[in-house]
Amino acid sequence: MADKPPSMQDFSELVTTWERQFNEFSNQVMGTDEFSRSINQWQKAQLEFQKNFSEAMAKQLANFNMPSRDDVITVSEQLREMDARLTRIEKMLSKASASPQGGAKKVGPKRTRKPPTKESGGGAA
Amino acid sequence: MSDQTQLTSQMRDMVDKTIQRSIKGIDYVRSGSAAVGLTPKDVILEQGTMRLYHYEPMVEEVYRIPLLIVMATTNKGYLFDILPGQSMVEYLLKEGFDVFMLDWAPPVMQERGLGLEDYTQGFLPMCIEAVQETSGEADVNIIGYCQGGVLSLIYASTHPAGPLKNLVCLTTPIDMHQMGLFRLWSNEEYMDLDNMVDTLGIIPAEFISNSFEMLRPAQRSAGQMRLWDQLWNDDFVTNYRAFQRWGDETLPLPGEYHRDCTRELMWENKFFKGELKQRGNVANLKNVTIPLMAVMAEHDHIAPYEATKPLLDLVGSEDRQELVLKGGHVSLIAGPNAMRRMWPPVNAWLAERSV
Repeated sequence: MADKPPSMQDFSELVTTWERQFNEFSNQVMGTDEFSRSINQWQKAQLEFQKNFSEAMAKQLANFNMPSRDDVITVSEQLREMDARLTRIEKMLSKASASPQGGAKKVGPKRTRKPPTKESGGGAA
Repeated sequence: MSDQTQLTSQMRDMVDKTIQRSIKGIDYVRSGSAAVGLTPKDVILEQGTMRLYHYEPMVEEVYRIPLLIVMATTNKGYLFDILPGQSMVEYLLKEGFDVFMLDWAPPVMQERGLGLEDYTQGFLPMCIEAVQETSGEADVNIIGYCQGGVLSLIYASTHPAGPLKNLVCLTTPIDMHQMGLFRLWSNEEYMDLDNMVDTLGIIPAEFISNSFEMLRPAQRSAGQMRLWDQLWNDDFVTNYRAFQRWGDETLPLPGEYHRDCTRELMWENKFFKGELKQRGNVANLKNVTIPLMAVMAEHDHIAPYEATKPLLDLVGSEDRQELVLKGGHVSLIAGPNAMRRMWPPVNAWLAERSV
């Protein structure tokens, strides 16, 4: 009998097995006190570098009378806030102008629905 | 069928799928991001990182009590509305619920000072008030997912007089010392939490998503291999792209909130012990006396079963139900298994308590 070609089902099972085994192995490696200490030390070093670099850069930019990243972020956030406020005002105005009474409440569906009984077999209306 | 015929048929199938893969692979690369969260809705409240949606009802008669879904703060709420036909929101609307959702947008630097109290005693009450106003009903039901469940429980335990009427907690961790690798990696002996929060202000999304990915390091690569295998299958590709987008859109967190969650919830396990204080009120789970349903996933790698299990023993509710389902942290909420396993019992439990 001729050998069957590997089916896609085999491939899928292979991937699932590989994924499970790799995850289990990684979790064992990463599930140690030593790993926890290492990633936290690495993160601390990275933060320290980032902090020092940002401070040095901000000083240099201030010397050149230029805005720092923080300044730019602050301005852009203020602009975004103003934009959001304008959108809110626009919405309120369009609601108010749509109804001469200043925006009567939209009538929603009746709130009288009862849960389906066992006899009715359940399900949506 | 003879071996020869079977072999020919298999070969033809393989060649066919290889051609399909090549054609659809090009489409995949050229296509934009997946269209998700398509159920029609209005944004009825928006404040910084907070969004409150009201979904358009799909039936003429709804249950009296409106339903608010509280999303976890690390991810976008469209997990509940991932694709038409696979959307829990759409399902609940068709079953007759008036659905609202508290969702989150990336916080900006000005919001770095938002703490846990701002979420549980600020955003959540504000949203509940808006739900009451929009629906005209005094009572409100909540479905809280993961950290959204924690926020809802803290709110419920500090507001025992209401207006919360029923609460469903989906994969909600309570005993944070059972959080497995998350607990180990955030060991207070090694983690310089204050330095991290003070330096960054906002905890980057990459930090959050990397933590999730490190729990299952092979998941992304295995997903890509499965995608290649199934590229000929349009349904698979549509689902893959939607879930991939959701996973990639992890949200950053305000630094102060991260500090509170790590120190008070994770390290000191204060909520589990009944010692958490929020704006002067003790958040003791014994104060939660409303009907409560806790849904847990057997194979949850993010909020392990051991961390979610103690909830029902700690609350003061007499009407309480536990539902342990097969599945993981995400597959419990969305996808074919969720549609079959989780949605119908949650619908049935809420329906009889929503009149």
